[in-house]
Amino acid sequence: MKSTFRLIRRFVKILLLSLIGLFILNVALLIFVFTQAEPNFGGWTRANELGDALIKNSDGTFTLSENGTKILEETSAWAILVEDKTGDVIWHSDNLPGEVPLHYSVAQISYCTRGYIEDYPTTTASYGDDLIFMGYPKDVYWKHMWPAFDYQLIANAPKLVLLFLAVNCLAILFIYFASTSGVLKSVKPIVAAIEDLPAGKEIYVKEKGLWSDLAAALNRSCEKLMRQDRELKKKERARANWISGVSHDIRTPLSMVMGYASQLEESMSLSEKDRHKAAIICQQSLKIKNLINDLNLSSKLEYNMQPLCLETVNLVGIARQCAVDFMNTDLDGKYPLTWEMDEDMPPCIIRGDKNLLSRALNNLLNNVQSHNPDGCAIAVKVRKDQDICSICVADNGVGISDAQMERLQNTPHYMMSDDGTEEPRHGLGLLIVRQIVLAHHGILSFRPGNEGGFLVEMKFHCDSLKEK
Amino acid sequence: MEQYYFKDKKILLVDDEKALLDMISDFLREDGYSQVKTADSVQSALDAARQWQPDMAVLDVMLPDGDGFSLFEKIREFTNIPVLFLTAKGEDEDRLYGLGLGADDYMVKPFLPKELLLRIGIILRRYYKEENPLVHLAGSMIDFSRAEVIRDGKHLPLTAKEYEILQALYRSAGRIVTIDQLCEAAWGDNPFGYENSLMAHIRRIREKIEKKPSRPVSLITVKGLGYKLVLEG
Repeated sequence: MKSTFRLIRRFVKILLLSLIGLFILNVALLIFVFTQAEPNFGGWTRANELGDALIKNSDGTFTLSENGTKILEETSAWAILVEDKTGDVIWHSDNLPGEVPLHYSVAQISYCTRGYIEDYPTTTASYGDDLIFMGYPKDVYWKHMWPAFDYQLIANAPKLVLLFLAVNCLAILFIYFASTSGVLKSVKPIVAAIEDLPAGKEIYVKEKGLWSDLAAALNRSCEKLMRQDRELKKKERARANWISGVSHDIRTPLSMVMGYASQLEESMSLSEKDRHKAAIICQQSLKIKNLINDLNLSSKLEYNMQPLCLETVNLVGIARQCAVDFMNTDLDGKYPLTWEMDEDMPPCIIRGDKNLLSRALNNLLNNVQSHNPDGCAIAVKVRKDQDICSICVADNGVGISDAQMERLQNTPHYMMSDDGTEEPRHGLGLLIVRQIVLAHHGILSFRPGNEGGFLVEMKFHCDSLKEK
Repeated sequence: MEQYYFKDKKILLVDDEKALLDMISDFLREDGYSQVKTADSVQSALDAARQWQPDMAVLDVMLPDGDGFSLFEKIREFTNIPVLFLTAKGEDEDRLYGLGLGADDYMVKPFLPKELLLRIGIILRRYYKEENPLVHLAGSMIDFSRAEVIRDGKHLPLTAKEYEILQALYRSAGRIVTIDQLCEAAWGDNPFGYENSLMAHIRRIREKIEKKPSRPVSLITVKGLGYKLVLEG
């Protein structure tokens, strides 16, 4: 919803800027119009000019000069001269309309000065003590007949203008919020749905109202995403099931290969050379056995199909059991194992999956075996440093070159990579260990061992509460 | 040499793969087991179990006319013999299901023949321990039926904890048993913090079974990991 507030803030900012902009624009336009337009008092000036152009003859008659006639022609106006003493019209232009009276009382003169004579807008000019009226066509001027304002009104004009502006702004804001709140309300479910989409939630927005098109498109998109997600999961499950099926079907035949090979390996009726061949078959079968076990578990861990059975476990106990199991199966004694742990070390209690943790350690021990077929010494070191329990498996075997180490650390396993698999990749053993350690929020690291060979360290955070 | 008093026990092997049955039978016979019978279906296995009355059964889970788990339950209706599941179904839930039914062990194919023989031996030794009159050690004998050690003609009684610890070691004789397993055998499910007590018990057991307790030859320490009981023939 943060985005909605950001949107409102942005809109309000734009609105306020627009209001200020509009105000400035209007003032500018007003100034432009007034400077360009002919001064409004042109009618009054002309009346004065007409007065100047009217010449009183010695016989008491009046003559309008050429200039005066021109003024009247240009403005299509008429003119009368009202005598001061009698109120009679003592001169008028030739084009005087018939309805214009030829006698005026003082009251009439007062009215006509402010307003109209028979709806003809008028302007006046004094002619000695007499008065000249100039009457214009009805659609030339609009006259303000009551040209007086309350003094306080004018005195408070600046305040009033500001008040007007403020009221206007408020009114506009109110209109804006009233109109946008409706829009925002209708957008709200769409925004919420879009925000939910990346979390993988299934969404549905009602397809009605202002944004029905958008809601419909969103629903279609969600359906498409869900369908793709389902198909992907189905594919992943199919792949994991396929691996599981193949690894299941291969177990019985492999049992027989391993069984007979191990029997031949010990058969005294075979030559030394043939027994050696049988031993190789046996070793390689063991590798296949480990591989199918790893492949199955790894694909399940990869696709989150292996639920963790969490319980309170003692890591030292698990490590000890794995070490002992390994020693118990190392019947030839080719892999002497030493256990290094402080005698007074407390138990390392964590919440973990006992089977998977055992599997990780067994994998490390089996790895040593597969990489060192001629045998080597193995050291299992268990340490506890504050809340961190570390289990380290080190050997003094063939070890690993820098290039191999580089590849091990930087190349993704083919199960996690979608590019070609032509390049030689490392085995599944370490991948599984890494997956299991990560599933327990631990850290896995490996490096060349101190005595040559290879060293792998798993670190887990102990549950100090449980220990208490 | 370890005593093989249990090698005349009757073992029934059930698997749908005839070649595998033949192979395991061969291994068992070569290892000294004299009475081995095979069955390749639920029905034939049930018939054999009723008529032949085996002392132990090794069952596959996937069978042509049913599954090993239900076969196990049917066998349990009329006999209490120990059962080991030997199957290609290696998922944790299958293993837990099998063991949860009450099976004595669960092995996933492919397997090493030696391991299978060892496990069968452990189960038989555990199950028919009363039939074993005496366990021979280098300097003494253990009589589990009387819970005592016989050394130089003297009968030295075992305490309950010593008995449990020796039983656990004897069940896996010749193999290392971890400190944790021994603590669990003696003190139950939550055996944290009993390691010092265990050491004290081991010392007392050695005083009973070893000629020279300071230089043990029958109850060997594997430093930091556990102990091993070495039997004598």
